Amino acid sequence: MSEQTTNVNLDAEETSAQEEATTVERCLSFQVDDLILFLSTDYIVEIVNDYPITPLPMVPSFVKGMINLRGQILPVLDMRLCMDKPPAEYTGKTCVIRLDIDSAPLCIVIDSVCQVLDIDFKEVRPIPVKRQQKLLNGMIDLGDGKVMMSFDCNVLLEKRY
Amino acid sequence: MDNGMEAMLETYLYETNSLLDALDELLVNDEKIGDFSSDDVNEIFRSMHTIKGSSAMMEFNSLATIAHHIEDLFFYIRDKGIESLDSEHKKELFDLMFRSGDYLRSEVQKVEEGSPLSAEAEIDSFASEINAFLKKISNTADEAPEETADETPAPEEKSAAPGMPEDPDAAAFLHIYLEEGSGMENLYAFMIINALQDAFVFRCYPPDVETNPDTSAEIIENGFYVAFDSREDVEQAESMLKSQAHIRSYEILENPGKKTAAPAPAASDVKTQEAPPAKQEPPVSDSKPAAAPAKAPAAVPAKAHAPVKQNLISVNVMKLDSLLDIVGELVITESMVTSAPELNQLSRDSFDNFMKSARQLRKLTDDLQDIAMSLRMVPISGVFQKMNRIVRDMKQKLNKDVRLIIEGENTEMDKNIVDSIQDPIMHIVRNSMDHGIEETQDERIRAGKDPQGTLILAATHTSSEVVITVTDDGYGMDPAKLLAKASEKGLLTKPAEEYTKKEALNLIMLPGFSTNQTVTEFSGRGVGMDVVKKNIESVGGTFALDSELGSGTTVTMRIPLTLAIMDGMKVTVGRSIFTIPIANIMQSFKITTDEIIYDDYGNEMVARMDSFYPIVRLHRFFNLETEVENLEDGILLWVEANDRSYCIFVDQLIGEQQVVVKPFPTYLNSFELKNFGINGCTILGDGSISIILDVLGLYGAAVNEK
Repeated sequence: MSEQTTNVNLDAEETSAQEEATTVERCLSFQVDDLILFLSTDYIVEIVNDYPITPLPMVPSFVKGMINLRGQILPVLDMRLCMDKPPAEYTGKTCVIRLDIDSAPLCIVIDSVCQVLDIDFKEVRPIPVKRQQKLLNGMIDLGDGKVMMSFDCNVLLEKRY
Repeated sequence: MDNGMEAMLETYLYETNSLLDALDELLVNDEKIGDFSSDDVNEIFRSMHTIKGSSAMMEFNSLATIAHHIEDLFFYIRDKGIESLDSEHKKELFDLMFRSGDYLRSEVQKVEEGSPLSAEAEIDSFASEINAFLKKISNTADEAPEETADETPAPEEKSAAPGMPEDPDAAAFLHIYLEEGSGMENLYAFMIINALQDAFVFRCYPPDVETNPDTSAEIIENGFYVAFDSREDVEQAESMLKSQAHIRSYEILENPGKKTAAPAPAASDVKTQEAPPAKQEPPVSDSKPAAAPAKAPAAVPAKAHAPVKQNLISVNVMKLDSLLDIVGELVITESMVTSAPELNQLSRDSFDNFMKSARQLRKLTDDLQDIAMSLRMVPISGVFQKMNRIVRDMKQKLNKDVRLIIEGENTEMDKNIVDSIQDPIMHIVRNSMDHGIEETQDERIRAGKDPQGTLILAATHTSSEVVITVTDDGYGMDPAKLLAKASEKGLLTKPAEEYTKKEALNLIMLPGFSTNQTVTEFSGRGVGMDVVKKNIESVGGTFALDSELGSGTTVTMRIPLTLAIMDGMKVTVGRSIFTIPIANIMQSFKITTDEIIYDDYGNEMVARMDSFYPIVRLHRFFNLETEVENLEDGILLWVEANDRSYCIFVDQLIGEQQVVVKPFPTYLNSFELKNFGINGCTILGDGSISIILDVLGLYGAAVNEK
């Protein structure tokens, strides 16, 4: 415990120095409509493209259907629709990301993948607006004027959006 | 409890249960003949010995004690020959054995449930019952009761070598040291003795080495002795020991106390087995040439017995399921590869070559699929044998003379299904015994029937289902009586005169219908045929009843071979492909506009075979876009499930296919798609997903809520 506190202190003193290992996570950043989101790669299994999506009747519209990924049938959720954004045509840039949240596999559709980067979760600030997106639980300023939102994929399982 | 212990317990339960099942089967068969064959006596003796040993190992004392007493009893019988018992005793013996079997089973069940085993006193009273019987038969056999003296001679303390037991008959001893620190010395000793037992006559010291945990300290310290009557046996046994695991070392000792043979030096040769337990390598080079020739003959008996125990392994069903899944994928992937459009770009020669290999691959995957499917298949005999027992018990309790005939017990079915149909079959058999067969023989004779009732339990295969019938030649059901009873209970939905015979018989399957006035021990416990029917339907089967007043009743159950695979009809609606179980489809047909009948709400109906059926348009119900909106353009499927009958309107039929049923991903469970008639999905040959419709669920959602 004492070690941790000293580390935090160190970080506070010299901000550019090597960050503390436990709060830094490798994240994938991606775009949905005009938002740039990031998600820890711990949740991400792979990026799958070009699998035909079989539509499923009697489900909410954000459930686009199912895909057959090498024999495993996975549900596909459209993030635009989950966040009440206008739907968009799927293009070559559209990506399907396969997630594994608490060993429940599912896929999300996003507009495009940006990059993989390390993010220190200590620097993620809560969103100061009241009526925030339920799927987002924080934001971070990257310093170059860009702001990224932390994507809370656990909410996906609770279906409260 | 650590993992190893759990695995051991699992093995123990599996083994003990299968021994008890075998015992039950054997007893029922023997009781029919009214006699034990000497083979069976040996068999019972052996299985009790095994149960005793392993139970003691697991420290389930009640089991061990009872098994031990039965073992003693059968040791006596084996010794004296079964002929020494008169028929009265045999009958008593059967009864005693059935009760012992039940007792052991109930104890095993307690072990499974983790509840405490029976108290000492209870065990003792049961054990003394067995002993009393033993005493009784040993007295009448007017021989001095020397029962078990042979098996467990008390070792006397003084002996030549330190710890070497006194046994004047033995030619030589094998002195076996077990591996150190295993903590399971008794078990290992038991395994070794069990292996030797099949081939030789011998005695071991301490006598209860396999069962008495108290001896383990002594075994660790001093090893244990196995005494043989002849020198030859010792040598053969020695070579068998080499294939046994967990032995640290062993030595052959000549018996200094043997009456006839000249006293020999105690330790004639000592060998150390260095092979690790799992491997069966022969130990260090033979120092004694005489041992080498002895090996060959010894190998024969050892081999003859080994396969009986080793050609079966128990596998977790989960593993089989995932194997089946993968094989299903493999088959689909194979057809994706062989039908890939890119193949058309190949030159003619290379295409031919490709197709040749592809055919070979197809054959192999087909074989693989067959084998994978067959792994889950088990014969139905296990369930049928249990009925044997039930019939026997009820025969005695109800004082009815009934013969149970079993046909087709080797019919194989999916393990899950076999498990789930056991209760329904049991219920039907009980019903037949209780209500079906006439109360007295006189009654049967007056009706011109064989005084002995007959109950036939039969299973046969058709291409996709197993048909199980339970037939009795008893009273048969009286439709008039059933109708009277139903109207008394207020179960009739139309005037009694309008009921056909079949409909009247089916009344018995309504909830709350039971013709028996009083509750008996075996049936009439408030659950009736409606539960049976529900159980059968839950595994996708159908249930039918046929009865002729005065000549008996037949219950027919049709059950699909497996739940994982079914025959489906692929249909399209817009861009979606749905699969409808073939078993539900009665007919498919096209109609013209003037055949459509509308009710006052505008619901569409169609007449088929003098009845009217509602039409469910899949595209409307599921909100799918399609160009086929006109009923004349598409096709109607007349489906039926569980007496619910209606027509489904689809764009077109694609064809029939066997499909592997896959459950929906867990994420989708919360949408309760089952309520909308969506049952699961399957992957088609081209890799696309098709939704499997549940005809009954769709009816509930689409017709009832209209």
